Amino acid sequence: MSNKHLFLPSGFIRTPLQNGLGRYIPQLQRITLKFCKNHGGSRGVRDFIETDLMEFAKTNPGTVVYLKPRRHRYPCMVAEYLNGEREYLSCHEFSRAEIQKWLSYMCTRSGIPVMRFRKYQHTDYPSIQGVWNPFTHQAPEINVAQFPHEILSKPVNNGPTATDQLIEIFKKTQIKDPVKPEH
Amino acid sequence: MAALWKTCHQCLRYGLSHKSFYPSVSAINVISKRNFKPRWVAPTLREIKRRKDVEDDRNGGPKIFHRSTFLEWNYDAEIFAFSNRLGEKFNEATLRTALTHKSYVERETARLSDMGVDSYLQIQNNEELAVVGGEMISKFTNGYLRAVFTQVPEELITAMHDFLTSTSNLETVGKHIGLGDLMLCSDFPCESETYVKSLKAVVAALAESSGEERARIFVQDLVVTQLYGLDINELWNPSDPVGNLTDILKREGKAEPEFRLIKHSGQNSVLAVYYVGVYSDKNFIAEGAGESLEIAKEMAAREALKQLFHTEDSMKALPFGRQLKNIQSKIVQLENQPNLPLSKWISEKVTSAVH
Repeated sequence: MSNKHLFLPSGFIRTPLQNGLGRYIPQLQRITLKFCKNHGGSRGVRDFIETDLMEFAKTNPGTVVYLKPRRHRYPCMVAEYLNGEREYLSCHEFSRAEIQKWLSYMCTRSGIPVMRFRKYQHTDYPSIQGVWNPFTHQAPEINVAQFPHEILSKPVNNGPTATDQLIEIFKKTQIKDPVKPEH
Repeated sequence: MAALWKTCHQCLRYGLSHKSFYPSVSAINVISKRNFKPRWVAPTLREIKRRKDVEDDRNGGPKIFHRSTFLEWNYDAEIFAFSNRLGEKFNEATLRTALTHKSYVERETARLSDMGVDSYLQIQNNEELAVVGGEMISKFTNGYLRAVFTQVPEELITAMHDFLTSTSNLETVGKHIGLGDLMLCSDFPCESETYVKSLKAVVAALAESSGEERARIFVQDLVVTQLYGLDINELWNPSDPVGNLTDILKREGKAEPEFRLIKHSGQNSVLAVYYVGVYSDKNFIAEGAGESLEIAKEMAAREALKQLFHTEDSMKALPFGRQLKNIQSKIVQLENQPNLPLSKWISEKVTSAVH
């Protein structure tokens, strides 16, 4: 169960040109809709063009929409992104709603190819106080200590041993003034 | 040969008509669907690809075409989309001038004179706009850096400015806002210099159309944000940190820096590590680690300087975009006011951190 046999590359979330940090630039540069004026498989595309296309163009003024009516060809859409990538999608026998959904999918992508995200978060500051190293929290006294040392040679977080605990219990049970036996 | 032609036709009929044939495009991502093709399709395609690769290698790379050579191309629409994509209003004539290069004008004039039409083309090129834009980008970058890094010496500001206004950085910015298809130039594929010139001219065109304020915000949003995630101490660090630290402390009237060994391990081994701390009048300033005592001492001095300049690894995140709204006036003020150089740096003279 490893990544080697998969064709889907994996990576971390990234965005071209720090998009969104300053301002958000929609990454879809242009979209080309190719369809047939007559064939039934292009019906969804034709309906979309007749009804929803103008609204789409108005809401995405940063994207150029090209229409290519080609007889006897199946419908498709090709999206071109600002980083030079292209996405091809065949729209054969799609309904108008499906075209709408796929188009909105194309709009919201950056051109970075689809990949499996290894993590859904990222930080440039993984450590604020500094990464732990063996010298962190060490007593500075070790620099001038002579070993074997009374305190530093011993393990750090040792609680009282069983023997110590028994001695403590015994001391507690001791009576201050021992009562002289009756005898 | 005839058999191959026939199979090609069959390919087109069976399923390749789905694919749009852009011969110039090498990388095209297909959202794949389940599709059962006849047995001979895959081997035929493989052979066609092999022959195409041989031809491409012979010609020194695949043939590339400018986007404007395609049938689906509308320059006016592309210009309209360009300005809307960035959310800016451009004066269209100025924008077109900003995207026209001298080489293009020369080429067109030569072409017309070859055809016999000897007319002087009235198209303006972007040389002057590029010069103005370059100065603006430099000025706006400096303003931002000095307003955000108030306690940093001028040498580091210069290093960061040089990185942000370098050809490679501006070329990347230009490419990713879509200038590649819009520029009118004679070289294809376009050189870095062309992209940089276009971007500078676009900034100048924006300042002319919408005002300097909008151009400043544009540069802050697109050019300066490339500083994000960068370790600025990689761009510049002092060549003599111990000497610099001694000078600074002397100027401030504090005691001379004293370097003391704090920790060490593995002295006789390859993986020796020494931690050296800098103290001024028995007050701890910073510590640095290194493979030898000299290295550790230098690192400690560097850390101390980083703390003085507020550029440690744990420094505050840089502000971008909307977070700059309150300090825009300060940015404008500091555009022409350089920070203190390292030779004159002193804590009291630098104002406290902005954000």
